[in-house]
Amino acid sequence: MSLAELRERAFQASLQVKELKEQVLMRRAQLIDSDVASFAQQNDFSTTQLQPHDFVCCRTLQGHTGKVYALDWSQERDRIVSASQDGHLIVWNPLTSQKTHAIKLASSWVITCAFSSDGVAVASGGLDSICSVYVLNTQQEQPISDPKTLHGHKGYISCCKFVPKRDAQILTSSGDGTCALWEVESCQKVSVFGGDSSCGHSADVVSLSVNTKEPHIFVSGSCDRTAKLWDMRTASRATQTFQGHGGDVNTVQFLPDGLCFGTGSDDSTCKIFDTRTGHQLQQYKDSHLSSEGAKVNSIAFSISGRFLLAAYSNADSDCYIWDTLTAEKVGNLKDSPNPHTMPVSCIGLASDGSAVCTASWDRTLKVWASNERETQGVQHDGLRVTITLPLAYKPVYYKKFSLQAGTIKAIDKETTLHAIWTHLRGTSSNGQAFRQVASYRNRATGTAGNI
Amino acid sequence: MGAGCTKVQSQEEAEDAAIKRNMEIEAKREQKVLKLLLLGAGESGKSTIFKQIKVLFQTGFDDPERRSFVPVIHANVYQSIRTLLMGCKEFAEREGESSSKYILLPENQNYGERIAEVESPEGCSLLDEDNALKVQNCWKDPAIQAAYLRGNELQLPDCTEFFLNNVLRLAAQDYIPSQEDILFARQQTTGIVETEFSPDKDPKNKGVCYRLFDVGGQRNERRKWMHLFDGVTAIIFCASLSEYDQTLLEDDKQNRMIETRELLAWLLQQPWFENTSFLVFLNKFDIFQKKALKVPLSACDWFQDYQPLTTNNQEIERAYRYVERKFKKIYEENTAPSNIQRQFRTYRTTAIDEGIIKETFRLVDDALTIQRLIQEMLNVLHVLACSSLEGVFLACEWQRP
Repeated sequence: MSLAELRERAFQASLQVKELKEQVLMRRAQLIDSDVASFAQQNDFSTTQLQPHDFVCCRTLQGHTGKVYALDWSQERDRIVSASQDGHLIVWNPLTSQKTHAIKLASSWVITCAFSSDGVAVASGGLDSICSVYVLNTQQEQPISDPKTLHGHKGYISCCKFVPKRDAQILTSSGDGTCALWEVESCQKVSVFGGDSSCGHSADVVSLSVNTKEPHIFVSGSCDRTAKLWDMRTASRATQTFQGHGGDVNTVQFLPDGLCFGTGSDDSTCKIFDTRTGHQLQQYKDSHLSSEGAKVNSIAFSISGRFLLAAYSNADSDCYIWDTLTAEKVGNLKDSPNPHTMPVSCIGLASDGSAVCTASWDRTLKVWASNERETQGVQHDGLRVTITLPLAYKPVYYKKFSLQAGTIKAIDKETTLHAIWTHLRGTSSNGQAFRQVASYRNRATGTAGNI
Repeated sequence: MGAGCTKVQSQEEAEDAAIKRNMEIEAKREQKVLKLLLLGAGESGKSTIFKQIKVLFQTGFDDPERRSFVPVIHANVYQSIRTLLMGCKEFAEREGESSSKYILLPENQNYGERIAEVESPEGCSLLDEDNALKVQNCWKDPAIQAAYLRGNELQLPDCTEFFLNNVLRLAAQDYIPSQEDILFARQQTTGIVETEFSPDKDPKNKGVCYRLFDVGGQRNERRKWMHLFDGVTAIIFCASLSEYDQTLLEDDKQNRMIETRELLAWLLQQPWFENTSFLVFLNKFDIFQKKALKVPLSACDWFQDYQPLTTNNQEIERAYRYVERKFKKIYEENTAPSNIQRQFRTYRTTAIDEGIIKETFRLVDDALTIQRLIQEMLNVLHVLACSSLEGVFLACEWQRP
């Protein structure tokens, strides 16, 4: 068969594909009868009102000498790692605003970073097309060990994430249009998602999100304006493709329940898609931002999924808080007393949902939470005890404090709530590190968590 | 107990302070380094410039490094001859049954088929003397030579003629690539490579250090990472003069020169490069010299309004000046008239010629020194507008010995 005939056949086939795609879109459009906001309206859900003290900047982390591009919280020990244009990764303790580690990267063009769930390793990736994994040493006399380097991508690494519950594996997405799953210890590629097969992305993949409830499922967002859902067990084809955005899908994030995910795009809108039906559930669009051409840099959901935080790239550095149910804007981080002065590049939610961290081009990171209510403790052995309550915990006033080995027990006479605080750091000598009291357990209600 | 508590606290505070100090020292050091970014479409000569820096301002290539280029050079040879063979086939088909212009001589056909079948250049083993002879015979075949004349329609690497003429030397047992061979060798850049160098001697420039980055030229979404280079001192934009009649590797309907023009315009418009100087290297002048008289400039839509006056060598100079003016126009169209910090220069280069590159970098250094001085002058004027004489002296740091 000659070249000309082959070309003609290829052309006919592509026309057919286009027609079929249009048919699919039409059928989909017929099936969508409503969206989340209309449903909420019919069932009389009202927009949540945020009070000014509900979202306050309680820490500003300074120290980077260049724009901060990415951040990640650790699962267990409440640390934040951030990557910046100055070519360093800095690990912060957000409670004390201190830096615990600063890692100078081999290649200063870093775009993304990630924390492993056990808090022991951090990963970074960037223009050098290599993902480097560094193990953090707890003893400061020893320098940070040489990284494990994962070679193989043919384009820049746009996003990397450790697979939850499987710390030995890391997922990366790259400008060459593929995602890859790696075994960290052996530096081997386990599987590649996309690439030669036409079922993968046709342009740079710029974001990833792994489903925390089912870690073998992840979603990727790409410059080809689609988001694809993948199952790690079948690398040959994507499970589903989600279309609808008018520009690059810059950021994807699963909702905490793992059944839906949100996306943010260069077309100034955020959308929520349902993985079960494959439909778009809701679009979050602000006409003022759209007309400015603001791009969505990053999104994050609150732990209940009720709030969607979206960071935009416009000169005003807007960072909207949307009510996901009613699709109304309920707040803007820019309006708070000391906001970022330049666009926010990344937003991350802490693992227990009590705080949100934003990283910005103004070289700082800010930690936002509900206004701390401090309860002053009793003087005991000359030691002042300050207990700060987490966002998710309603303030209860404690009448009596007692100190026992390594713990503070507080009892409220009226409601007989017992709350036991244990400190996480250092050895167990009494009274130590109460400034860093970090977790609590409420016997009565059974809730527990980190401060 | 209280002491235990403060011990942990003070250790952390000490760590924090140490990290802060180190980062500040690093930042100060980085400010003294002038960053240069090499950009341009694919195959515009960026990597060759990069290699030249190594030769001119650093220690050049040592033996093991040279030997590491042998597989690359052999792969280039195979790729060249293979592209020519495939091209022959395609041209023969288009011509039809009657013409035999692109049919290989019988003794070369067998080898031709074998080479054409191998999927990728890596699939071939290293070039040995036996194979080299066969490759040379193919190269000398009139059909292949005819195909080479239409080389601009194929994706032929620029090293084709040089390597295929020298193929026997390249296949010798104890072959160690010469500097010229290395500069011609073509390997696709992925990721990012960087090198640091200081321009030579000049006592005024004590302590000036340049760091050059080459980011690879293929089509991957530049808009996603270009903001990382916000703050570079200058962009060295490489444009190949000889590509006005060639099409892209990734898209054979797009003319390469038009692509270069689009890229330059896009870069000039980016907000992060508002104060960045653009130094355009109009590269591959040697090939342009041979081509300008044979292939009219109007093969490229951008050069439509070019009217050749004569057909002698002076025409080449005229053609070059025309292209230079066109590039200047793109710069002017995309820069606000009030922007005085940005410098724009064009340089005529032939990346494989050491002397030309050395001279070019001397001129680049001059241009960047001017930029630095303008910057300092602006700082001084700004301070003067605000207040005191003390401020002026503080701003004039560069005058201190």
